[in-house]
Parts: sequence; structure tokens; C-alpha cells
Amino acid sequence: MVEPLLKVEGVRAYYKLGRVFVRAVDGVSFEVNEGEVLGVVGESGCGKSTLSNVLMMNLRKPLVLVEGRVLFKMGNGFLEISSLGREEVKKRLWGKEMAVIPQSAMNALMPTIKVRKYVEHLAESHNIPKEEILEKIRIRFQEVGLDPVWLERYPFEFSGGMRQRAVIAIATLLNPQLLIADEPTSALDVVNQKIFLKVLMQMKKRGIVKSIVFITHDIATLRQMADRMVVMYAGKVVEVSPLEEMLRKPLHPYTKGLLDSVLTPEPEVKDRGITTIPGAPPNLIDPPTGCRFHPRCTYAMKVCREKEPALVEVEKGRKVACFLFTEEIA
Amino acid sequence: MFKVMFKPLLKNRKFLIGFSVFLFFLVLGLFGPIFYRVDPTEMTWNHEKPPSREHPLGTDTYGRDILAQLIHGIRSSLYIGFLSAIISLTIGTFVGTFSAVKRGVVDETLMAITNIVLTTPSILVAILIASYMRVRNVEMVALILGLFQWPWFARAIRAQLMSVMSREYVYLSVMAGYSDLRLIFEDLIPTIATYAFMSFVLFINGGIMGEASLSLIGLGPTQGISLGIMLQWAVLMEAVRRGLWWWFVPPGVSIVAITASLLVISTAMDEVFNPRLREE
Amino acid sequence: MASKQMLRYLFRRFLFLFVTYVVATTVVFLLPRVIPGNPLSQLLSNLSMVAQANPEAIRAAERALMEEFGLGKPWYVQYVEFISKALRGDLGTSITFYPRKVLDLIVPVLPWTLVLLLPATLVAWILGNTLGAQAAYRRNTWVDKGVLTTSLVVSQIPYYWLGMIFIFLFGVRLKLLPTQGAYSQGVIPSLTFSFFVDVLRHYILPFLSIVVSAMGGWAIGMRLMVIYELGSDYVLFSETLGVSDKRIFKYVFRNSLLPQITGLALSLGSILGGALITEIVFNYPGTGYLLFRALTTLDYPMIQGIFVILIASVYLANFLVDFIYAVIDPRIRIGQEA
Repeated sequence: MVEPLLKVEGVRAYYKLGRVFVRAVDGVSFEVNEGEVLGVVGESGCGKSTLSNVLMMNLRKPLVLVEGRVLFKMGNGFLEISSLGREEVKKRLWGKEMAVIPQSAMNALMPTIKVRKYVEHLAESHNIPKEEILEKIRIRFQEVGLDPVWLERYPFEFSGGMRQRAVIAIATLLNPQLLIADEPTSALDVVNQKIFLKVLMQMKKRGIVKSIVFITHDIATLRQMADRMVVMYAGKVVEVSPLEEMLRKPLHPYTKGLLDSVLTPEPEVKDRGITTIPGAPPNLIDPPTGCRFHPRCTYAMKVCREKEPALVEVEKGRKVACFLFTEEIA
Repeated sequence: MFKVMFKPLLKNRKFLIGFSVFLFFLVLGLFGPIFYRVDPTEMTWNHEKPPSREHPLGTDTYGRDILAQLIHGIRSSLYIGFLSAIISLTIGTFVGTFSAVKRGVVDETLMAITNIVLTTPSILVAILIASYMRVRNVEMVALILGLFQWPWFARAIRAQLMSVMSREYVYLSVMAGYSDLRLIFEDLIPTIATYAFMSFVLFINGGIMGEASLSLIGLGPTQGISLGIMLQWAVLMEAVRRGLWWWFVPPGVSIVAITASLLVISTAMDEVFNPRLREE
Repeated sequence: MASKQMLRYLFRRFLFLFVTYVVATTVVFLLPRVIPGNPLSQLLSNLSMVAQANPEAIRAAERALMEEFGLGKPWYVQYVEFISKALRGDLGTSITFYPRKVLDLIVPVLPWTLVLLLPATLVAWILGNTLGAQAAYRRNTWVDKGVLTTSLVVSQIPYYWLGMIFIFLFGVRLKLLPTQGAYSQGVIPSLTFSFFVDVLRHYILPFLSIVVSAMGGWAIGMRLMVIYELGSDYVLFSETLGVSDKRIFKYVFRNSLLPQITGLALSLGSILGGALITEIVFNYPGTGYLLFRALTTLDYPMIQGIFVILIASVYLANFLVDFIYAVIDPRIRIGQEA
């Protein structure tokens, strides 16, 4: 029986810019189950980075939660973290229950102190004895393939790939249940990407983290690790599927387009040939009416322009928001 | 382009305040002498009189009218400020652009010179040069000041040009197939124009301050009146210790008001145009 | 601790400052020789008019001038002599105080300038940075707006004019503090408590004028640096790890302070310029006051000497700041690809 670790229910999170809103996350619902790697894909500017902030409840001024709830499993029940203030969530969950591997892990470490010092500060903030955490980081460094002597170095002495691994080691130091990786591989070369993904998966296998949310624009990286996929388009979730099934048979036209546009084709998609999705993602201040994908969709019908499709389960464990799959087609 | 540029500025309260204050002094300097027709050099028997109806800001030791001096002083101080700013901006743009475009040895030489001038205290060099000149007109003072203000601007322009050229410029021209000329006008110039304008404003400040400093130690323009020269006279005649506040307060207030308003203008522009500072 | 990279960095900085010093002295050498109107010959004729009563003295001064500027010798001989003298610290003979050496005249006034300038600059730097950081941390609150607005205005007040205002307010009107000099007239400097108090009372106003008006600029700069730094990746990452706000603020403060140290090095010159003029306004017996006397009497060897000394001090201070920077910033201490 799969148990959800984190539940997102009808969340709308907008950037308030003067009088207009950027609807970066607009009515999104899904779960992150215990023990799974959930991939979130979409083009840049579709709201996936905003989503990572929403999962953490890391909301800062222009970004506000307009509607919906975010629930996180604590003990036997769920804690509604969306009802707590940012400071409260930070104090109770960040680092301990959930952690982020940021987009720019290259500069994520405090540059002018030694890594050991930084780890000590982390311990101090969480009221953990220094010796205990230093012992832990030494082991963790070895686990990610870094010699613990590097703890006595400054971040700028590390190479790019090493920095990324150091960031994983530090982010997972307090054994958070949920790890959110936000485009962590975009700055790495192929070799370092491979190492990075391996290290990340090991963290899960060893049970250091329970679940991983992996946010990326590149399906190819997810193929090797994700269990389920959430496909986002223009602030909305358009499809939720187990990875293998989605690769075999994508439902939403946008998912099809994404799979077809993958630059390093996998066997499943190779025979479909490489195409790109025509047009650019819509601006999120004034999104298209009806289904947001309709201006770029080759299957667009009249109803797509007028009504918004709901996310409905069409097969077991597969949800899609498209009129091609709902009764309303008639 | 200008519409896009100025609209957000006109909504910024800081900018409006700064601009109004500056405009006030600009108008005072430009048109003041036309409406207040008192000769600032004319000596009268009213020595060191506090403000009265006859002399709104009082008189100095020789019975000269302070308000008339102030108006003419603002005028030439602004003139010196503008002139030295134009000189600094020209040298800085030239050095920065040349460095960025030519690279290599030219770049290294120019940057070495820039760093030498940057490290050397400009006001001291200005004092030294001015001390060798027996006659200094307003333009010469502006030149002496303008010659040493440019280095930080040249360095910034060079850095900006290099980053623009290495990223957007090449990338976009390849990707979008735009003509180089179009990119220069649409991307390069606007990026630098805002920065150059902000720097120009600060250069004016440097010129006005520099003139005041030089004048105070007797190295200002040898003819005419400036805000610095007013202060110099006040110091020479011990106006401060004798409590003649109407003599040394107005020129100082004018210097601070003009330079602070310009600084506010430049700060407001930075807040509006610099994405890292934008508040919303 | 002093790694190879750090030594290399310091050596490069030293070399640069040395070259800069040679260039500056070359300018000092060239100026009287290229500026039209030859001020030196004018000076000579001036001298003969002023000092007619004492032909002996005028001839001596004339000889001194010829000697000082090496006039009559080929220019390259003049140049080599000049540079080697400047590097040895031989600054020539004063005309006004003939036959006293320029260096002997500068050395006794230099401490007054240093005692005024150094503490005032440091205090202004520390206060300004603290204020700016606090403002940035409370961005868009009334604290921030108050600090920014005040700083924008205050930073544009010339030290010496603030000095005038202070003299007028606290000296003339309120009669709280003395209005000029470094100690009361007629008092003989001694190592007594009462003399110390006297000096302190004279010190307050010039000190405050520099501190108050210099503070604003540092506050503005620091506020901007901290705002930039608060948006940087390491801050965001530390937050998501639950590092305490206090600790993050310490990081930000530390990293924002580093550029401010460079800023201090670069603005030493203009701070010095402002302080010299402040001395003149206060009749404070420092280098500025001596320079003023030299300028009014056109004592060129003295003007040049003061210039060379001051400029060398600025470079030296620059080097010191470089050194401190290298010690504090591990990126320079350990070396990082530029």
C-alpha cells in the first residue's frame, strides 16, 4: 500500500506584480508517495521552479499562496504546512524533514568559510551537538565519493561536480524525508550528471531520504530514475502517470510533444522521430482561455478553446487533463 | 524606447523629488540672473548685514549682495559640473569601449593606466596642477577635475560591454539572425545608456564638489563667482567664527541640495532599471 | 598561513603601487616644466619683488629654487636626480621657511593629520557599514527609508562645510567647544592630563564633521551590497536547510564587507582631500594647514613635497588594505582563478 508523504491540494500560487498576477502555479493537485521518485517536467517558465517553493512553503513577497493546501506527513497524521507561516515551516521542517538541492548548486555553499565550519553552523541552528554532526558529515562525504579532508577546504577549491556532491551530502545530512531537486544537473557535463544521479539514487536506496521530487525540463535524465511523472504546462498539471507507461503511451498531446522533442532519443521514442512543439509557452499573466495548450495543440477542438479540462483518472494510476480522453468529447 | 524608459521613472517618488529639487536650482542658475538684476560684485556701504528686504540674503564684508552671488555661483558651479562630467564621460567611454573591443595589449595598457589613475587621489593631483596655473578660468578648472574622474566609469563600461558582447550579442545575433547594427542599437546602447546617464549625474556631483574643494584652498577659478569661491571668501573673512551665518550657509546648502538631488535621481534610476534591486 | 598565492598577490599589488608611485612622481616632475607660463620664473620675479629688503635671502632662495628643480641641466639628468631623490625621501628645501628642509617641516604636522584622519575614517566606515546593513536587512521598513534618505543627503555634505556648521552651532552659538586649533593658544604642549583634555575638546568637532559626512556614503554602499548578497544562492540554500537567520545575516554581512574594504582603499584619496580642507577650516595644525600656507606663498618645493608624501601614504595605506583583504578573504589567500 503506497502512503503519500506530501499532498498538494488545489494550490494556486501567484506572483503579485503591482496590479497583475503571474499565475505560476494555478490549481495544482498531486501527491508525493513514500519511497518514490517523482519527476516533474515541463518547459522553462511553466511554473515548476515555483512549484518547488510551494512544496517547501518557501513563499516570499511577490509570491503568494492564493488558494489550496499543502500537507506533509508528520508521525501518524498530516501537518497542514500551508497554514503555517514561512518562519514556522522553516523552523519545524526545513533541513530536517525536507531539503532542496538548488538549481545553482555551484554557488550554493557559503563561499568564504570552510565547509566544516558551515556544517557546524548548520548543527548549531538545529541544536545538534557538533561532534555528532561532524562524524555524520565525514561518513556522508565518503558516501557521495568525497574524501573527508575536503571538509577543511573552501567551496571555491572544489570542482563543479564535487560541489554538487558536497551539496547533496549537506542537504541530506539531517536525513530529511523529502528531497527536492530543482534542475540540479543543468550546469553539469554528462559525466558529472551520471555520477550525480547515481549518488542521488543511493541516498534513496540507503533510506537516508524517503522520497525525491526531481524537477527538470529534460525527460532524458528522469528516465533513469523516476517512478512517476507529473507533466506541467503553463502553471497546470496536464498529466500524471507512472514513468514507463507514459513513455510507452503518452496521453496528453503536450506530453507527446515533449517526448518527441527529446534531443537524445531513447529507444521508445526513436521511432517516432524528433520534432519540436510549435509555438512558445504562453505568458502566465494572461493565459489562453480553455485548455492552456490549445493554441499549440494539433488536436485542438472547439471545446478546448472554451472550457478548461479537469485532471481525471482515465486508467489506473494515470490522470490526464485533456478533452480527448473525457466523455465530453461527444 | 524613451516612453518605456521614463514612464516607470515618473511613478517613482524618489525620482520626482530629486528631479524637482535639481530643476529648481537649474532654473535658478539659468534664469536667476535675468530676474534678479543685482551685480554680485558691486560693493556697497552695507557691510556684513543680515538678510533684509534690500538684500534678501544679506551682504558680505564689502557690502556685496549674497543672493546675487549665490545665483551666479550656482550658475558657474553647475557649468563646471556639467563640463567636467562631459569630459569624464567622454574619456571613460572611449577608454572603456576601446578596451573591450580591442582586447589584448591595448586592453592591458589602457586598464593599467586606468588603475593608476584610479589609485591616485584625484583631488591631490588637481591641487598640484592648479597650483602651477597663475590664471584659471572656469573651463580650465572643469578640465582639471574632469581629467581624473573617469577611471571607475571606464572599468564599468568595459565590463558591461564585454559581458553583453560575450552573451546576448553573439548568441542572439546567431540565433535570431538579427543584423549587428540592430543589436547594437537595441541591446548594447540601451544597456549602457542608462548606466552612462547615471554616471554622468554622479560626475556632475564630482565636478561641483571638486570645484568647491579647489576654490576653498584658493585654487578655484581666478575670475567670476562660484559656490566654492563664496565659501572661500567666507572662510578668509572668518565669517563662521564671527557668526555671519547668512554668508556661508546658502552656498553650502546649495551644494548639498544640488548634489544630493542628483544622487537621489541616480539612485532612483538604479532602483527602477536594475533588476536586482527592483522591489516587486 | 601566508600561502604562495597570497605572497604572489601581495607582490603583484606592491609592484603595481610602486609603478604608480613612479608615474605620480614623474607627473610631479613634468608639471612645472610643461605648464605654459613657466610659474617658476614668475615665482622668481615675485620673490624679488616681495623680498627686496633682504637681497641676501632672495639670492639664497633663488639658488635653492635652481637647485631644487635642477634648472639648467639636461632634462634627463634632472629627471633621474628628481626620481632618485623622491625615492630616498629627499623632498628638497622650503622657500618660505628657507633653509629648512621640506621633510623636517612635514614630519611634525603629519601626526595631527593621522590622529584626525585615521580614527575618523575607521569610525565612519564601521558605523556606516553597520547602519547600511541594518537598513538592507529591514528593507522597505521605515528604518531602511530613514537610513537611505538621510544617507543620500548627508553623504553629499562636504566635510569642511559640516565643520563650518558645527563651529557655528557648537562653538559660536552654544559656546560648548573651541572653534579652532588643536589646543588652546598659549598652552605649551605637555604630557599632562589637562593638556590631554584640551586637545580632546579641540578634537571633537573636526572629528565629528568627518565621521558624520563620511558615514553616509558607506551606509549607501553597504545597503546595496547586502541587498545583492541577500539574493545570492548560498543565502537561499542556507535558508532551505534551516540555518538560523542570525547566522545567515552574519554570512551576508561578512561577504558584503569584503568589497567595502576595497572601497575603503579606493576612497582614501578623496577622504584625505576632504580632511585636509577640514583642517584648514578648523585651523588645525596638520598637513592640510601646511599645504594651505605653502599654496598661498607659492612654496613649490613644499607643495611638491607634501604631494609626494601624501600620495606615498595613500599608496602605502592601499597596500595595507590589500594585505588585510588577503588575510580575510580566503579566495585571495588560497588563490582562485581570476
